[in-house]
Amino acid sequence: MRFRFLAAFPLLYALIFLAIAWSLQGGEMLAPFTFWQRILVRVLAVAGCLAAVSCFERGDHLRSAWLWLGAGTIVILIRDLLRLSPGFAPQGADPQAQLVVTALGILSNLALLGGVWMLARSWKMAAIVLPGGRSGFGVVAVFTAVLALTVAGPGAYIHLQEVARGDWSSLVLVVSAIVDIITLCLITPLLLTAISLRGGLFAWPWGLVTASQLAWLLYDIAAGLRPGLLPTGLPLPEVFRGLAENYLFAAGMAQYFVIDQVRQAARAPVLRPAAEG
Amino acid sequence: MGHDTSFSRQLAARLAPYIGDFNAQMWIKSVARRELGLAPEDLTVKHLPPLIDGLRPFLQTLMGRSTADNLLQQIGREVH
Repeated sequence: MRFRFLAAFPLLYALIFLAIAWSLQGGEMLAPFTFWQRILVRVLAVAGCLAAVSCFERGDHLRSAWLWLGAGTIVILIRDLLRLSPGFAPQGADPQAQLVVTALGILSNLALLGGVWMLARSWKMAAIVLPGGRSGFGVVAVFTAVLALTVAGPGAYIHLQEVARGDWSSLVLVVSAIVDIITLCLITPLLLTAISLRGGLFAWPWGLVTASQLAWLLYDIAAGLRPGLLPTGLPLPEVFRGLAENYLFAAGMAQYFVIDQVRQAARAPVLRPAAEG
Repeated sequence: MGHDTSFSRQLAARLAPYIGDFNAQMWIKSVARRELGLAPEDLTVKHLPPLIDGLRPFLQTLMGRSTADNLLQQIGREVH
C-alpha cells in the first residue's frame, strides 16, 4: 500500500498543480505560484534522496548513487533560490552572477548524471538478468537513443552555435542538453532492471527512478514546444518537472522502505516473505 | 527453469520477495555453476556456505553490505 501511494503521489500532485495553475488563468499570481511549487518539489526530491542515503553505509554502491542525485538536486535548488536575487535573475546584468548561476547549473547536471549512471549500472554489478537478452536490450537502447537525440539533439546544436558565437551563457544549456541525451539513454538499463525485478520489492525504487527519467523526457519535449502552442495558464513543462522531481522523491522513499523491510525480515526469528506495504 | 528440487527452490523462495522469482532462480543457477560447477538440481544443504558467499556481492550491490550480510545469515538459518 505504501509503495502504491508513493507511485500515485506524483500524479496526484500534478493534477492539483494543474487545477490551481488553470484557475489562475495566466494571471500575475501564476509565476510566483509556479516558482514556489518548483522549490517545493526540489525540496521533496532532496528529502527522498537523503532518506535513501541514510539506509546505506559508507562505501555501499547505492549510497554513492543517491548521494550524487541528492547533491545535484541541492545544487539546482540553490541556483533556483539565488534567482530570487536581482543580480542572479535570468535577465540580470551582472556577468559574474550569471557565471555563478551557469556553473551551478552545469555542476547540478553532472552530479545528477553521475547518480543516474551509478543506478543504471547496478544491474551489471548485481548480475541481474535483463528481459529480452542482448537483442532486447539493443532494441530498447536504439529506440531510447533515437528518442533522446530527437528530443534534446536540436537544442544541443542550437545552443552549441550560440556558444560558438561567443554567448557563454548558453554553455549551461549545451551541457544540459548533452547530459539530457546521455541520461535519457540510461532509461534503457533502468527500465529493464525494474522489469527484471518485478515481483520483488526492489522493483519499486528502480521503477520510480525510471518514471522520473521518463518525466524528464516529457519535460524536454514540452519545453521544446514553440511558444503559443500551449494555452495560456498551462505551464506544461512545470507539470513534467514536478512529476520528475516527485518521482525522484518517491524513488528515494521507496528505497528507504525496501531496505527497512529487508532489515526487519533479517531480524525476524522465522523468515517470512516480505510483503508489500 | 528445470531446477525444481527442494533446496534450490527453498533458497530461491527466500530471495524472490526482494529480487523477483526470475532473478532469484537465475542467481542461484549462476552461482551454483560458477562456484560449484553444479546444476541447481544437484544442490544440497552442504553447498550452502559457498552459495551464500557467491550471492553476497549481488545482494550487497542492491541493499548494502550490512543488510545483505544479515539477510544471508538469516536465509542460512532458515534453510539449514
